[in-house]
Amino acid sequence: MLTLTEVHTYYGKSHILLGVSLEVQPGEVVGLLGRNGVGKSTTLKTIMGLVRPSGGHVRFEGREIAGTAPHRLAHAGLAWVPEDRRIFRLLTVMENLRTGLDRPGMTEARRRELLDKVYAHFPVLAERRSQAGGTLSGGEQQMLAIARAMMLEPKIILLDEPTEGLMPRMVGQIREIITLLHQDRVAILLVEQNVPLTLDVSDRVYIMEKGLVRHHATAAELRADHAVIHQYLGV
Amino acid sequence: MSIPLDQILIQTVNGLVNGMILALVASGLTLIFGIMDVVNFAHGDLVMLGGFTGAVTIAATGNFWLALLVAVLVIAVFGAALQATTLRPLLGRDPLTTILATFGISLVLQKYALWQWGPSARRIQEPLTGQFQLFYLQYPWYRVLTAVLSAAIIGGFWLFLRHGKYGIWIRATMQDRIMASAMGIPVPWVHTGVFAIGAGMAAASGVLFGPLGGVTQNMGLDFTLRAFIVVVVGGMGNLGGSIFAAILISLLEAYASLVVSPAQAVIVSFVVLILTLLFRPTGLFVPTPK
Repeated sequence: MLTLTEVHTYYGKSHILLGVSLEVQPGEVVGLLGRNGVGKSTTLKTIMGLVRPSGGHVRFEGREIAGTAPHRLAHAGLAWVPEDRRIFRLLTVMENLRTGLDRPGMTEARRRELLDKVYAHFPVLAERRSQAGGTLSGGEQQMLAIARAMMLEPKIILLDEPTEGLMPRMVGQIREIITLLHQDRVAILLVEQNVPLTLDVSDRVYIMEKGLVRHHATAAELRADHAVIHQYLGV
Repeated sequence: MSIPLDQILIQTVNGLVNGMILALVASGLTLIFGIMDVVNFAHGDLVMLGGFTGAVTIAATGNFWLALLVAVLVIAVFGAALQATTLRPLLGRDPLTTILATFGISLVLQKYALWQWGPSARRIQEPLTGQFQLFYLQYPWYRVLTAVLSAAIIGGFWLFLRHGKYGIWIRATMQDRIMASAMGIPVPWVHTGVFAIGAGMAAASGVLFGPLGGVTQNMGLDFTLRAFIVVVVGGMGNLGGSIFAAILISLLEAYASLVVSPAQAVIVSFVVLILTLLFRPTGLFVPTPK
Protein backbone atom coordinates (compact mmCIF):
# COMPACT_ATOMS: atom_id res chain seq x y z
CA MET A 1 0.00 0.00 0.00
CA LEU A 2 2.80 2.40 0.97
CA THR A 3 6.18 1.90 -0.66
CA LEU A 4 9.35 3.95 -0.31
CA THR A 5 12.10 3.22 -2.81
CA GLU A 6 15.58 4.69 -2.36
CA VAL A 7 14.25 7.92 -0.87
CA HIS A 8 16.76 10.74 -0.36
CA THR A 9 15.89 13.81 1.70
CA TYR A 10 17.91 16.89 2.55
CA TYR A 11 17.40 19.57 5.20
CA GLY A 12 19.22 22.47 3.62
CA LYS A 13 22.65 21.01 2.91
CA SER A 14 22.53 18.10 5.33
CA HIS A 15 21.66 14.78 3.76
CA ILE A 16 19.24 13.12 6.20
CA LEU A 17 17.80 10.16 4.30
CA LEU A 18 20.36 8.35 2.16
CA GLY A 19 18.11 6.03 0.21
CA VAL A 20 15.42 4.67 2.52
CA SER A 21 13.33 1.79 1.22
CA LEU A 22 10.45 0.24 3.10
CA GLU A 23 6.87 -0.83 2.61
CA VAL A 24 3.66 -1.15 4.57
CA GLN A 25 0.85 -3.49 3.56
CA PRO A 26 -2.83 -2.67 4.18
CA GLY A 27 -3.77 -3.16 7.81
CA GLU A 28 -0.23 -3.92 8.85
CA VAL A 29 1.55 -2.46 11.88
CA VAL A 30 5.16 -1.77 10.98
CA GLY A 31 7.72 -0.60 13.52
CA LEU A 32 10.55 1.76 12.65
CA LEU A 33 13.29 1.60 15.25
CA GLY A 34 16.60 3.41 15.55
CA ARG A 35 18.56 5.76 17.74
CA ASN A 36 17.92 9.49 17.89
CA GLY A 37 18.72 11.42 14.77
CA VAL A 38 18.89 8.53 12.30
CA GLY A 39 16.05 9.93 10.19
CA LYS A 40 12.92 8.18 11.50
CA SER A 41 10.85 11.34 11.92
CA THR A 42 12.15 12.70 8.62
CA THR A 43 10.98 9.50 6.94
CA LEU A 44 7.45 10.12 8.25
CA LYS A 45 7.55 13.81 7.26
CA THR A 46 8.74 12.88 3.79
CA ILE A 47 5.84 10.44 3.37
CA MET A 48 3.36 13.09 4.58
CA GLY A 49 4.61 15.57 1.99
CA LEU A 50 6.00 17.96 4.62
CA VAL A 51 9.53 17.53 3.33
CA ARG A 52 10.15 17.07 -0.34
CA PRO A 53 12.48 14.18 -1.18
CA SER A 54 15.30 14.99 -3.58
CA GLY A 55 15.31 11.49 -5.05
CA GLY A 56 13.57 8.15 -4.99
CA HIS A 57 9.90 7.22 -5.03
CA VAL A 58 7.12 7.41 -2.47
CA ARG A 59 4.10 5.46 -3.68
CA PHE A 60 0.74 5.18 -1.97
CA GLU A 61 -1.74 2.68 -3.42
CA GLY A 62 0.36 2.55 -6.56
CA ARG A 63 0.43 6.32 -7.10
CA GLU A 64 3.53 8.50 -6.82
CA ILE A 65 2.89 10.94 -3.97
CA ALA A 66 6.26 12.66 -3.55
CA GLY A 67 5.60 16.38 -3.94
CA THR A 68 1.83 16.13 -3.36
CA ALA A 69 0.42 18.77 -0.98
CA PRO A 70 -0.10 17.38 2.56
CA HIS A 71 -3.80 18.31 2.63
CA ARG A 72 -4.41 16.16 -0.45
CA LEU A 73 -2.58 13.25 1.17
CA ALA A 74 -4.72 13.68 4.29
CA HIS A 75 -7.82 13.29 2.10
CA ALA A 76 -6.24 10.35 0.26
CA GLY A 77 -5.97 8.37 3.51
CA LEU A 78 -2.70 9.29 5.22
CA ALA A 79 -2.65 10.70 8.74
CA TRP A 80 0.32 11.97 10.74
CA VAL A 81 0.63 12.07 14.52
CA PRO A 82 3.81 14.08 15.11
CA GLU A 83 6.35 13.51 17.82
CA ASP A 84 5.60 16.79 19.59
CA ARG A 85 1.81 16.20 19.14
CA ARG A 86 1.23 19.67 17.70
CA ILE A 87 -2.18 20.13 19.26
CA PHE A 88 -3.83 23.38 18.19
CA ARG A 89 -3.36 24.87 21.65
CA LEU A 90 -5.89 27.69 21.36
CA LEU A 91 -8.57 25.54 19.76
CA THR A 92 -10.88 23.54 22.01
CA VAL A 93 -10.66 19.75 22.05
CA MET A 94 -13.79 19.61 19.89
CA GLU A 95 -12.38 22.14 17.43
CA ASN A 96 -9.13 20.16 17.23
CA LEU A 97 -11.19 17.11 16.27
CA ARG A 98 -13.20 19.16 13.78
CA THR A 99 -10.05 20.06 11.82
CA GLY A 100 -10.21 16.46 10.62
CA LEU A 101 -13.99 16.12 10.54
CA ASP A 102 -14.95 19.11 8.41
CA ARG A 103 -14.04 17.67 5.06
CA PRO A 104 -15.91 17.09 1.82
CA GLY A 105 -18.29 14.15 1.74
CA MET A 106 -18.87 13.92 5.50
CA THR A 107 -22.41 13.19 6.63
CA GLU A 108 -23.84 14.18 10.00
CA ALA A 109 -24.37 10.52 10.91
CA ARG A 110 -20.78 9.61 10.08
CA ARG A 111 -19.46 12.53 12.12
CA ARG A 112 -21.52 11.39 15.10
CA GLU A 113 -20.27 7.84 14.70
CA LEU A 114 -16.60 8.88 14.56
CA LEU A 115 -16.93 11.18 17.56
CA ASP A 116 -18.75 8.51 19.58
CA LYS A 117 -15.99 6.08 18.76
CA VAL A 118 -13.13 8.28 19.98
CA TYR A 119 -15.12 9.43 23.00
CA ALA A 120 -15.69 5.76 23.89
CA HIS A 121 -11.95 5.08 23.71
CA PHE A 122 -10.84 8.38 25.22
CA PRO A 123 -13.61 9.38 27.65
CA VAL A 124 -11.41 12.19 28.98
CA LEU A 125 -11.68 13.95 25.61
CA ALA A 126 -15.46 13.96 25.89
CA GLU A 127 -15.21 15.49 29.35
CA ARG A 128 -12.85 18.19 28.12
CA ARG A 129 -14.39 18.85 24.73
CA SER A 130 -14.87 22.57 25.37
CA GLN A 131 -11.47 23.08 26.96
CA ALA A 132 -8.53 24.59 25.03
CA GLY A 133 -6.14 21.94 23.72
CA GLY A 134 -3.19 23.67 25.36
CA THR A 135 -4.65 23.08 28.83
CA LEU A 136 -4.55 19.28 28.54
CA SER A 137 -1.83 17.18 30.17
CA GLY A 138 0.86 15.57 28.04
CA GLY A 139 -0.89 12.21 27.99
CA GLU A 140 -4.26 13.77 27.16
CA GLN A 141 -2.64 15.76 24.34
CA GLN A 142 -1.22 12.53 22.92
CA MET A 143 -4.70 10.97 23.00
CA LEU A 144 -6.13 14.05 21.32
CA ALA A 145 -3.41 13.89 18.65
CA ILE A 146 -4.28 10.27 17.88
CA ALA A 147 -8.04 10.92 18.07
CA ARG A 148 -7.64 13.89 15.73
CA ALA A 149 -5.84 11.70 13.20
CA MET A 150 -8.64 9.11 13.50
CA MET A 151 -11.15 11.79 12.42
CA LEU A 152 -9.65 11.57 8.93
CA GLU A 153 -10.59 7.87 8.75
CA PRO A 154 -7.09 7.17 7.44
CA LYS A 155 -5.91 4.01 5.73
CA ILE A 156 -2.52 4.48 7.36
CA ILE A 157 -1.39 6.42 10.42
CA LEU A 158 2.20 7.64 10.68
CA LEU A 159 2.70 7.52 14.43
CA ASP A 160 5.81 9.29 15.70
CA GLU A 161 6.97 8.30 19.22
CA PRO A 162 3.52 8.22 20.80
CA THR A 163 4.83 7.05 24.20
CA GLU A 164 7.60 9.63 24.54
CA GLY A 165 7.48 11.25 27.95
CA LEU A 166 4.31 9.44 29.05
CA MET A 167 3.62 7.73 32.38
CA PRO A 168 3.61 3.90 32.27
CA ARG A 169 -0.18 3.83 32.66
CA MET A 170 -0.54 6.04 29.58
CA VAL A 171 1.84 3.80 27.63
CA GLY A 172 -0.58 0.95 28.29
CA GLN A 173 -3.42 3.05 26.81
CA ILE A 174 -1.38 3.83 23.71
CA ARG A 175 -0.72 0.11 23.28
CA GLU A 176 -4.47 -0.56 23.53
CA ILE A 177 -5.31 2.04 20.92
CA ILE A 178 -2.70 0.71 18.49
CA THR A 179 -4.16 -2.79 18.91
CA LEU A 180 -7.61 -1.39 18.33
CA LEU A 181 -6.64 0.46 15.16
CA HIS A 182 -4.98 -2.76 14.00
CA GLN A 183 -8.26 -4.60 14.50
CA ASP A 184 -9.98 -1.92 12.43
CA ARG A 185 -7.53 -2.73 9.62
CA VAL A 186 -5.84 0.68 9.80
CA ALA A 187 -2.18 0.35 8.81
CA ILE A 188 0.34 1.96 11.17
CA LEU A 189 3.92 2.99 10.59
CA LEU A 190 5.17 3.31 14.17
CA VAL A 191 8.35 5.20 15.02
CA GLU A 192 9.38 4.39 18.59
CA GLN A 193 12.23 4.29 21.08
CA ASN A 194 10.27 1.87 23.25
CA VAL A 195 11.57 -1.45 21.89
CA PRO A 196 9.41 -3.88 23.92
CA LEU A 197 6.23 -2.03 22.93
CA THR A 198 7.24 -1.91 19.27
CA LEU A 199 8.10 -5.62 19.14
CA ASP A 200 4.85 -6.35 20.92
CA VAL A 201 2.42 -4.48 18.63
CA SER A 202 4.19 -4.66 15.26
CA ASP A 203 3.98 -7.31 12.54
CA ARG A 204 7.32 -6.32 11.00
CA VAL A 205 10.13 -4.03 12.06
CA TYR A 206 12.69 -1.96 10.17
CA ILE A 207 15.80 -0.73 11.95
CA MET A 208 17.38 2.50 10.75
CA GLU A 209 20.92 3.74 11.20
CA LYS A 210 22.39 6.97 9.78
CA GLY A 211 19.70 7.64 7.21
CA LEU A 212 19.39 4.08 5.96
CA VAL A 213 17.35 0.98 6.73
CA ARG A 214 19.96 -1.48 8.05
CA HIS A 215 17.82 -4.38 9.10
CA HIS A 216 14.40 -5.76 8.38
CA ALA A 217 12.69 -8.66 10.16
CA THR A 218 9.38 -9.80 11.52
CA ALA A 219 8.70 -8.75 15.08
CA ALA A 220 8.64 -12.40 16.10
CA GLU A 221 12.15 -12.95 14.75
CA LEU A 222 13.45 -9.92 16.62
CA ARG A 223 11.77 -11.01 19.83
CA ALA A 224 13.72 -14.30 19.54
CA ASP A 225 17.00 -12.65 18.51
CA HIS A 226 18.00 -9.91 20.89
CA ALA A 227 21.52 -9.66 19.49
CA VAL A 228 20.28 -7.61 16.50
CA ILE A 229 18.44 -5.20 18.73
CA HIS A 230 21.53 -4.86 20.89
CA GLN A 231 23.76 -4.30 17.88
CA TYR A 232 21.74 -1.43 16.42
CA LEU A 233 20.04 0.10 19.40
CA GLY A 234 22.37 -0.76 22.26
CA VAL A 235 19.60 -2.04 24.51
CA MET B 1 -2.93 75.01 31.88
CA SER B 2 -6.38 73.57 32.23
CA ILE B 3 -8.46 72.05 29.45
CA PRO B 4 -12.24 72.31 29.63
CA LEU B 5 -14.04 69.02 30.15
CA ASP B 6 -16.23 69.46 27.06
CA GLN B 7 -13.15 69.62 24.83
CA ILE B 8 -11.79 66.45 26.37
CA LEU B 9 -15.12 64.69 25.75
CA ILE B 10 -15.23 65.88 22.14
CA GLN B 11 -11.70 64.60 21.58
CA THR B 12 -12.72 61.29 23.17
CA VAL B 13 -15.47 60.91 20.58
CA ASN B 14 -13.06 61.92 17.80
CA GLY B 15 -10.45 59.47 19.03
CA LEU B 16 -12.96 56.62 19.16
CA VAL B 17 -14.25 57.37 15.65
CA ASN B 18 -10.76 57.56 14.13
CA GLY B 19 -9.69 54.55 16.14
CA MET B 20 -12.46 52.34 14.78
CA ILE B 21 -11.62 53.04 11.12
CA LEU B 22 -7.95 52.48 11.87
CA ALA B 23 -8.85 49.25 13.69
CA LEU B 24 -10.67 48.04 10.59
CA VAL B 25 -7.56 48.61 8.44
CA ALA B 26 -5.23 47.17 11.08
CA SER B 27 -7.37 44.04 11.62
CA GLY B 28 -6.82 42.99 8.03
CA LEU B 29 -3.12 43.75 8.21
CA THR B 30 -2.57 41.82 11.45
CA LEU B 31 -4.66 38.91 10.22
CA ILE B 32 -2.59 38.60 7.04
CA PHE B 33 0.60 38.77 9.08
CA GLY B 34 -0.69 36.29 11.64
CA ILE B 35 -1.55 33.64 9.10
CA MET B 36 1.21 33.90 6.50
CA ASP B 37 3.95 35.98 8.15
CA VAL B 38 3.63 38.57 5.40
CA VAL B 39 3.72 42.28 6.21
CA ASN B 40 1.49 43.64 3.48
CA PHE B 41 2.94 47.02 2.56
CA ALA B 42 0.25 47.38 -0.09
CA HIS B 43 -2.52 47.26 2.52
CA GLY B 44 -3.12 51.01 2.48
CA ASP B 45 -3.33 50.90 -1.30
CA LEU B 46 -6.15 48.40 -0.99
CA VAL B 47 -7.89 51.03 1.19
CA MET B 48 -7.28 53.52 -1.63
CA LEU B 49 -8.53 51.17 -4.36
CA GLY B 50 -11.61 50.45 -2.24
CA GLY B 51 -12.22 54.19 -1.92
CA PHE B 52 -11.97 54.75 -5.67
CA THR B 53 -14.13 51.72 -6.46
CA GLY B 54 -16.70 53.13 -4.05
CA ALA B 55 -16.46 56.62 -5.56
CA VAL B 56 -16.90 55.28 -9.09
CA THR B 57 -19.89 53.17 -8.05
CA ILE B 58 -21.53 56.13 -6.31
CA ALA B 59 -20.96 58.29 -9.37
CA ALA B 60 -22.75 55.65 -11.44
CA THR B 61 -25.55 54.66 -9.07
CA GLY B 62 -25.79 57.36 -6.41
CA ASN B 63 -26.13 54.67 -3.77
CA PHE B 64 -23.58 54.71 -0.94
CA TRP B 65 -24.54 51.31 0.46
CA LEU B 66 -24.31 49.65 -2.92
CA ALA B 67 -20.92 51.32 -3.38
CA LEU B 68 -19.72 49.95 -0.04
CA LEU B 69 -20.81 46.44 -1.01
CA VAL B 70 -19.35 46.62 -4.52
CA ALA B 71 -16.02 47.98 -3.25
CA VAL B 72 -15.72 45.23 -0.62
CA LEU B 73 -16.52 42.45 -3.10
CA VAL B 74 -14.39 43.79 -5.95
CA ILE B 75 -11.35 44.41 -3.76
CA ALA B 76 -11.75 41.06 -1.98
CA VAL B 77 -11.67 39.25 -5.34
CA PHE B 78 -8.79 41.44 -6.45
CA GLY B 79 -6.95 40.65 -3.20
CA ALA B 80 -7.48 36.93 -3.71
CA ALA B 81 -6.02 37.14 -7.22
CA LEU B 82 -3.11 39.25 -5.96
CA GLN B 83 -2.29 36.76 -3.22
CA ALA B 84 -2.56 33.71 -5.46
CA THR B 85 -0.33 35.18 -8.16
CA THR B 86 2.32 37.11 -6.25
CA LEU B 87 2.45 36.02 -2.60
CA ARG B 88 1.63 32.32 -2.75
CA PRO B 89 4.84 31.48 -4.64
CA LEU B 90 6.87 33.35 -2.01
CA LEU B 91 5.40 31.60 1.04
CA GLY B 92 8.08 30.51 3.50
CA ARG B 93 10.81 32.58 1.82
CA ASP B 94 12.89 35.21 3.56
CA PRO B 95 10.56 37.99 4.87
CA LEU B 96 12.56 40.46 2.78
CA THR B 97 11.19 38.96 -0.44
CA THR B 98 7.57 39.46 0.62
CA ILE B 99 8.32 42.97 1.87
CA LEU B 100 9.79 43.83 -1.52
CA ALA B 101 6.91 42.14 -3.33
CA THR B 102 4.18 43.96 -1.40
CA PHE B 103 6.10 47.24 -1.65
CA GLY B 104 6.27 46.73 -5.42
CA ILE B 105 2.55 45.98 -5.54
CA SER B 106 1.96 49.21 -3.61
CA LEU B 107 3.85 51.27 -6.18
CA VAL B 108 2.06 49.61 -9.10
CA LEU B 109 -1.36 50.20 -7.52
CA GLN B 110 -0.59 53.86 -6.83
CA LYS B 111 0.59 54.49 -10.37
CA TYR B 112 -2.43 52.66 -11.72
CA ALA B 113 -4.73 54.87 -9.65
CA LEU B 114 -2.90 57.97 -10.83
CA TRP B 115 -3.28 56.89 -14.45
CA GLN B 116 -6.88 55.80 -14.07
CA TRP B 117 -8.33 58.49 -11.80
CA GLY B 118 -5.82 61.33 -11.90
CA PRO B 119 -4.05 63.21 -9.11
CA SER B 120 -7.00 65.11 -7.62
CA ALA B 121 -8.97 63.95 -4.60
CA ARG B 122 -12.46 62.51 -4.93
CA ARG B 123 -14.92 63.07 -2.19
CA ILE B 124 -17.60 60.49 -1.52
CA GLN B 125 -21.02 61.90 -0.63
CA GLU B 126 -21.98 60.69 2.82
CA PRO B 127 -25.27 58.76 3.07
CA LEU B 128 -26.20 60.60 6.25
CA THR B 129 -25.89 64.37 6.46
CA GLY B 130 -27.49 65.11 9.82
CA GLN B 131 -25.64 66.56 12.79
CA PHE B 132 -26.19 66.60 16.50
CA GLN B 133 -25.19 69.02 19.22
CA LEU B 134 -22.02 67.94 21.02
CA PHE B 135 -21.39 70.76 23.47
CA TYR B 136 -20.48 73.76 21.29
CA LEU B 137 -20.02 71.63 18.13
CA GLN B 138 -22.36 70.44 15.41
CA TYR B 139 -21.10 66.87 15.27
CA PRO B 140 -21.92 64.89 12.08
CA TRP B 141 -23.88 61.69 12.60
CA TYR B 142 -21.93 60.15 9.76
CA ARG B 143 -18.73 60.08 11.84
CA VAL B 144 -20.55 58.11 14.53
CA LEU B 145 -21.96 55.83 11.86
CA THR B 146 -18.47 54.99 10.52
CA ALA B 147 -17.37 53.94 14.00
CA VAL B 148 -20.47 51.80 14.47
CA LEU B 149 -20.10 50.19 11.01
CA SER B 150 -16.40 49.52 11.52
CA ALA B 151 -17.16 47.90 14.85
CA ALA B 152 -19.94 45.86 13.25
CA ILE B 153 -17.65 44.60 10.48
CA ILE B 154 -14.92 43.65 12.97
CA GLY B 155 -17.49 42.02 15.24
CA GLY B 156 -19.00 40.09 12.35
CA PHE B 157 -15.58 38.83 11.37
CA TRP B 158 -14.86 37.83 14.97
CA LEU B 159 -18.05 35.76 15.05
CA PHE B 160 -17.05 34.18 11.74
CA LEU B 161 -13.67 33.22 13.27
CA ARG B 162 -15.24 31.77 16.43
CA HIS B 163 -17.95 29.71 14.81
CA GLY B 164 -18.08 27.37 11.90
CA LYS B 165 -15.73 25.35 9.81
CA TYR B 166 -13.88 28.18 8.06
CA GLY B 167 -13.21 29.98 11.33
CA ILE B 168 -11.62 26.81 12.68
CA TRP B 169 -9.58 26.44 9.48
CA ILE B 170 -8.25 29.99 9.80
CA ARG B 171 -7.41 29.69 13.50
CA ALA B 172 -5.79 26.27 13.06
CA THR B 173 -3.69 27.57 10.15
CA MET B 174 -2.63 30.61 12.21
CA GLN B 175 -1.45 28.40 15.04
CA ASP B 176 0.31 25.67 13.07
CA ARG B 177 0.33 25.84 9.29
CA ILE B 178 2.06 22.47 8.88
CA MET B 179 -0.20 20.53 11.22
CA ALA B 180 -3.24 22.19 9.65
CA SER B 181 -2.23 20.98 6.20
CA ALA B 182 -1.55 17.49 7.56
CA MET B 183 -5.14 17.51 8.88
CA GLY B 184 -6.46 18.07 5.38
CA ILE B 185 -7.04 21.83 5.62
CA PRO B 186 -6.27 23.39 2.21
CA VAL B 187 -3.78 25.88 3.63
CA PRO B 188 -2.96 27.68 0.34
CA TRP B 189 -6.66 28.47 -0.11
CA VAL B 190 -7.05 29.51 3.53
CA HIS B 191 -4.23 32.01 2.91
CA THR B 192 -5.93 33.31 -0.20
CA GLY B 193 -9.26 33.54 1.60
CA VAL B 194 -7.80 35.44 4.54
CA PHE B 195 -6.02 37.84 2.20
CA ALA B 196 -9.34 38.41 0.43
CA ILE B 197 -11.08 39.10 3.75
CA GLY B 198 -8.31 41.51 4.80
CA ALA B 199 -8.53 43.27 1.43
CA GLY B 200 -12.32 43.51 1.73
CA MET B 201 -12.00 45.07 5.19
CA ALA B 202 -9.46 47.55 3.82
CA ALA B 203 -11.85 48.44 0.97
CA ALA B 204 -14.67 49.01 3.48
CA SER B 205 -12.43 51.43 5.41
CA GLY B 206 -11.64 53.24 2.16
CA VAL B 207 -15.31 53.81 1.36
CA LEU B 208 -16.21 54.74 4.96
CA PHE B 209 -13.28 57.18 5.09
CA GLY B 210 -14.13 58.69 1.68
CA PRO B 211 -16.67 61.26 2.96
CA LEU B 212 -14.33 62.29 5.81
CA GLY B 213 -10.98 62.75 4.11
CA GLY B 214 -11.52 62.18 0.42
CA VAL B 215 -9.90 59.55 -1.79
CA THR B 216 -6.52 60.20 -3.42
CA GLN B 217 -4.08 57.94 -5.20
CA ASN B 218 -1.37 58.51 -2.59
CA MET B 219 -3.50 58.05 0.55
CA GLY B 220 -2.37 54.43 0.92
CA LEU B 221 1.03 55.04 2.45
CA ASP B 222 -0.43 56.93 5.40
CA PHE B 223 -2.91 54.12 6.10
CA THR B 224 -0.21 51.45 5.79
CA LEU B 225 2.09 53.32 8.15
CA ARG B 226 -0.57 54.00 10.78
CA ALA B 227 -1.96 50.46 10.60
CA PHE B 228 1.55 49.04 10.80
CA ILE B 229 2.27 51.03 13.97
CA VAL B 230 -0.99 49.77 15.46
CA VAL B 231 -0.17 46.18 14.54
CA VAL B 232 3.28 46.36 16.11
CA VAL B 233 1.96 48.02 19.28
CA GLY B 234 -0.90 45.52 19.54
CA GLY B 235 1.36 42.52 18.91
CA MET B 236 1.95 41.21 15.39
CA GLY B 237 -0.85 38.83 14.47
CA ASN B 238 -2.95 39.61 17.55
CA LEU B 239 -6.42 40.73 16.39
CA GLY B 240 -7.73 41.92 19.77
CA GLY B 241 -4.45 43.69 20.51
CA SER B 242 -4.61 45.60 17.23
CA ILE B 243 -8.13 46.82 17.89
CA PHE B 244 -7.20 48.07 21.37
CA ALA B 245 -3.99 49.62 20.08
CA ALA B 246 -5.87 51.41 17.27
CA ILE B 247 -8.29 52.96 19.74
CA LEU B 248 -5.56 53.74 22.27
CA ILE B 249 -3.30 55.50 19.76
CA SER B 250 -6.18 57.42 18.18
CA LEU B 251 -7.37 58.59 21.58
CA LEU B 252 -3.88 59.68 22.58
CA GLU B 253 -3.51 61.58 19.30
CA ALA B 254 -6.90 63.21 19.80
CA TYR B 255 -5.98 64.31 23.34
CA ALA B 256 -2.58 65.51 22.17
CA SER B 257 -4.22 67.72 19.57
CA LEU B 258 -5.77 69.67 22.48
CA VAL B 259 -2.36 71.05 23.36
CA VAL B 260 -0.44 70.87 20.07
CA SER B 261 -1.51 71.14 16.45
CA PRO B 262 -3.10 68.01 14.89
CA ALA B 263 -0.07 67.66 12.58
CA GLN B 264 2.20 67.50 15.61
CA ALA B 265 -0.16 65.16 17.46
CA VAL B 266 0.75 62.43 14.97
CA ILE B 267 4.11 62.26 16.75
CA VAL B 268 2.29 60.59 19.65
CA SER B 269 1.82 57.40 17.66
CA PHE B 270 5.54 57.22 16.96
CA VAL B 271 6.31 57.80 20.61
CA VAL B 272 3.98 54.93 21.54
CA LEU B 273 5.64 52.77 18.88
CA ILE B 274 9.15 53.48 20.13
CA LEU B 275 8.19 52.95 23.79
CA THR B 276 6.50 49.68 22.87
CA LEU B 277 9.53 48.44 20.95
CA LEU B 278 11.80 49.42 23.84
CA PHE B 279 9.82 47.89 26.67
CA ARG B 280 7.35 45.39 25.21
CA PRO B 281 8.83 44.36 21.86
CA THR B 282 6.19 41.66 21.31
CA GLY B 283 3.36 44.19 21.70
CA LEU B 284 1.43 45.73 24.57
CA PHE B 285 -0.83 42.75 24.82
CA VAL B 286 0.49 39.22 25.12
CA PRO B 287 0.56 38.04 21.53
CA THR B 288 -1.23 34.95 20.36
CA PRO B 289 1.12 32.06 21.08
CA LYS B 290 1.79 30.10 17.93
